[in-house]
Amino acid sequence: MMSNFFLYLGMGLFTLVFLCLYRGVFGPGVLNRIAAISAIGTKTLVILLIMGFIYHRVEMFVDISMVYALLNFIGTIAAAKYLENGGEI
Amino acid sequence: MTRVTDDIIIRTVARVFMPFIQIYALYVIMHGHHSPGGGFQGGVILGASFILYLITHGVEDAKKRMSELRAGLFSSFGLLIYSGIGLLCLIMGGNYLDYGRLSTILKVIPAQARSLGILGVEIGVGITVMAVMLSIFFDISTGGVLPEDEEGLEENDE
Repeated sequence: MMSNFFLYLGMGLFTLVFLCLYRGVFGPGVLNRIAAISAIGTKTLVILLIMGFIYHRVEMFVDISMVYALLNFIGTIAAAKYLENGGEI
Repeated sequence: MTRVTDDIIIRTVARVFMPFIQIYALYVIMHGHHSPGGGFQGGVILGASFILYLITHGVEDAKKRMSELRAGLFSSFGLLIYSGIGLLCLIMGGNYLDYGRLSTILKVIPAQARSLGILGVEIGVGITVMAVMLSIFFDISTGGVLPEDEEGLEENDE
């Protein structure tokens, strides 16, 4: 029962990733693209945690998702700074 | 050349986050054989903390903390730990990286010697990966211009 709940939650987030991907590929302007990529990273993090709940090994997947959040944060900062300085990090 | 950012929020957040990221990197290295992670992944996180500092504080400030020379020395030092443990096992009469032979030096049972040996190797790998990632990022952020070339360019401008 609870496992099915997490499965459907993960599937719903999985479809939302594609909506964000549309904004990332066709979105007007660079700012929309950066925000879309950042949102995809956040959704991936939650999907990883849901996978951990489904496989009953949350303590493993928490580690991976924390690294994912960290690298997503650094990537977003780098992209935003690149944009601010006009092609220079 | 990477410059310091004007935004005080990003600078403060990066400075406050850096020690926590490094503690987490050490946890990933130390806990590599019980959970996902290990030397390479921990080294990448450790390198990412320095890269975050470099992005937010500029390359001059980052070079005061960790110069390019020091990054190169660290990368060699990590490799020295790795190959030193391997050769030590070879000297003790086993195969290369056969940690069980270290039990006579460490005065523990062979199973614990294997655990300690792989921990030492992972520390070496982590140091190397951190230093090499930082060195690559230094090269990218300076555009491949060496420090002595930079002084020459400034003289030519004058």
